[in-house]
Amino acid sequence: MVVNSLAFLWFFLVVLVVYYLLAPKKVLQNFFLLACSYWFYAQVDLKMTGLLALLTLIFWGIGHGIGIAIEQEKEQLASRLTTLSVVIGIGALFYFKYLNFFIGSFVAAADLIGLHLSWTASHIIVPIGLSFFTFKLMSYPLDIYHGKINHERNIFNFANFIAFFPTILSGPIDRPKPFLKQLAQTRLFNPDNLMTGFRRVLWGMFMKMCIADRLDLYISAVWNNFEHHSAVSILFASLLYPFQMYADFSGYSEMAIGVSLMLGFKVAENFKRPFFSSNISEYWRRWHMSLTSWLTDYVFMPLNIKLRDWGTNGTIAAIMLNMLFVGLWHGANWTFFFFGLYHGLLFVPLMLNGQFFKKAKVKVNSYGFPIFNITTKMIGTYLLVTFGQFLFHANSMTDAIHILEHTFTNLEGPLFIDMSTLINAAICSIALIYVDIQEEWFPHKKLYLPKFAETWRCELTIAIEIIAILLFGIFDNNQFIYFQF
Amino acid sequence: MKKLLIHIAIIVALFFLFDRALGYGLKFLYNKSNATDEYKISYSIETTRDSILFFGSSRCLHHYIPSIFEKELGKSCYNVGNWGIKNIYYHYGLLSNILTRYTPKTIIFEIHPSEWLQVPFSGKERANSLAPYCGISDECDEMLKLSGNYWKYQLSMTYRFTGSLPNLLTGKFGSMDRSLKGWKPLDGVLDTTGVKAEEYPFPVDQERIQLLERFIKDCQKHDIRLIFVESPMYVCSKEDVFKFPRELIQKHHLLFLDHYRDSDFVRHAEYFYDFGHLNREGARRFSEKLSKELRNI
Repeated sequence: MVVNSLAFLWFFLVVLVVYYLLAPKKVLQNFFLLACSYWFYAQVDLKMTGLLALLTLIFWGIGHGIGIAIEQEKEQLASRLTTLSVVIGIGALFYFKYLNFFIGSFVAAADLIGLHLSWTASHIIVPIGLSFFTFKLMSYPLDIYHGKINHERNIFNFANFIAFFPTILSGPIDRPKPFLKQLAQTRLFNPDNLMTGFRRVLWGMFMKMCIADRLDLYISAVWNNFEHHSAVSILFASLLYPFQMYADFSGYSEMAIGVSLMLGFKVAENFKRPFFSSNISEYWRRWHMSLTSWLTDYVFMPLNIKLRDWGTNGTIAAIMLNMLFVGLWHGANWTFFFFGLYHGLLFVPLMLNGQFFKKAKVKVNSYGFPIFNITTKMIGTYLLVTFGQFLFHANSMTDAIHILEHTFTNLEGPLFIDMSTLINAAICSIALIYVDIQEEWFPHKKLYLPKFAETWRCELTIAIEIIAILLFGIFDNNQFIYFQF
Repeated sequence: MKKLLIHIAIIVALFFLFDRALGYGLKFLYNKSNATDEYKISYSIETTRDSILFFGSSRCLHHYIPSIFEKELGKSCYNVGNWGIKNIYYHYGLLSNILTRYTPKTIIFEIHPSEWLQVPFSGKERANSLAPYCGISDECDEMLKLSGNYWKYQLSMTYRFTGSLPNLLTGKFGSMDRSLKGWKPLDGVLDTTGVKAEEYPFPVDQERIQLLERFIKDCQKHDIRLIFVESPMYVCSKEDVFKFPRELIQKHHLLFLDHYRDSDFVRHAEYFYDFGHLNREGARRFSEKLSKELRNI
């Protein structure tokens, strides 16, 4: 059951009605929300619901222990419990997601030096949303230990934070402090929240169904049969791929944020128009923001502090490790390792010329658009990201090398054109680019509407968005790229 | 709450206003379109009055040249075949809509395994191509209901045309030469490297068989002469792919002209565009051969 399915629509309508009927009674409302979240997760991954509950219980218990240890000023105990929580969190991730990868890689490496091991990979099913909820779980004891939050005495509140159904499958990765604070408040029926949330859901559906899924028809046709396509077709599909990923994942995030808002929760934002970044550092501050900010706080900053004696080299090492984590977070495959390494390397020039910590001020021309120099840098960043997608999209390093080899050696042949798909996608992409440009450069400027229509701006937007989804959308693809992570 | 209900009421009103206006506009464009899919469906349902109709998928679209049959048989012909591995859900819906307007004398049906097997890449959704014509015949609506989308088409006129705006606006992608009466020639010669026989390891689908039987019975009810044909393939499966339709056709005392393994065409790359489709020359030779065969029946 995914957010843009009819099954979810019916489920959510029932949830919404009952949720607000219980509204004045906060405890009942939270309990109902928790039941809905577990029901939702069970629909998606019934076998792993127990694991989710078990991990929740363990982390809540450890968090409780850390809280009490801090209250009783037992620093060493608090530190040990925090370490234990990190070990359990990483252990769960390692077992479910990376064990087979490491066994496979170890056996292959041993094979190279003549050692023939008969270890076979175990049949392990990765729980859906594991990478997302494990990070939420780990941030809780860490935040208690660092004094950012107090331990949550009510296990149901903590379980609500972990299993919150709009975000459990694919983020955004929320932090405990803002979420638990909202859980402690009564959430009353608010028509404005409902309308704003609904608009974000629709916009997310538009991005996912009208842009990402349309582009997918073209990109998959080329990438899945790259041997039969010319270099120019592969390059064109590769150029479109970052945009497809953006529309897919940002679309999902919009839907998750919108649904949360309709339930009265403000969750973390995940994207901030990443293709207007003038360097790779800015790109990662705008792309999958909830993951990058998590890794910045819990991986990069501690590492940077640990390695500060090495000066610039220490920061570079911290960035490289951080980006390797970013890469491997996406999956257990060497392609993701090299994807992280590639992005880490892109940071090195920024570190060496001192631009890494600087927040670039964008100069604009008289029309309000960025100047030529900045625009060139934005295009350059997009191209660098595109090149990295060769690794991200490939099933294995051998595949990635084959695709690159094929692309740069078979330069002849026509461009594969699927005119209908590309025109449909182009019409919708123009709308997305227009909205992104407006939000980035002209946030206070609204599209002109005649006076009589101005009072109905919100309703008009919603009606037009629904029509656009019906006209351009693809309704039979319920796969999101980021579900696999 | 009152404020929210007003919001919702305005949104619903605006939605229906825009949806209906856009839906009628798109239907107008659909009827004017020259794009293959749209033009052929619209022409078949709204205009054709020919004596002989050729039904089927892409192999029908590319293999049957109406002008050759007209010359040989002295009757007007039209090829209503369409690409995209159409199956019995589509063909039965199309026939039902055509029958609401007129009755052809003969139907020549290029049969494909997707008419009776659970071919995963050709399911009930193939009927969705008929969405712009929902509400014309009960049988076609039944096919749309089976595809699971009928209620959506009832709710939104725009949704009936989902994804087809570029085709409708330009009408040029994959456009039809109307003088060819529904036939679409393929120019080019098959590159035989790596060509293998198409296999159909799929189970029999009882629902499709029932629909195929209904197709046959509707033809019999309207006194339409129904002839099943299988045109040649470049390489043939070792299995007896057409065992089932042969039995069905015998049961209903119909004709089945099986050219699947026709030695005049099999392994003759010069007559093929790809392993399953005859090129212009191949289609001409096949149409001539079949039309002579039909004349002698």
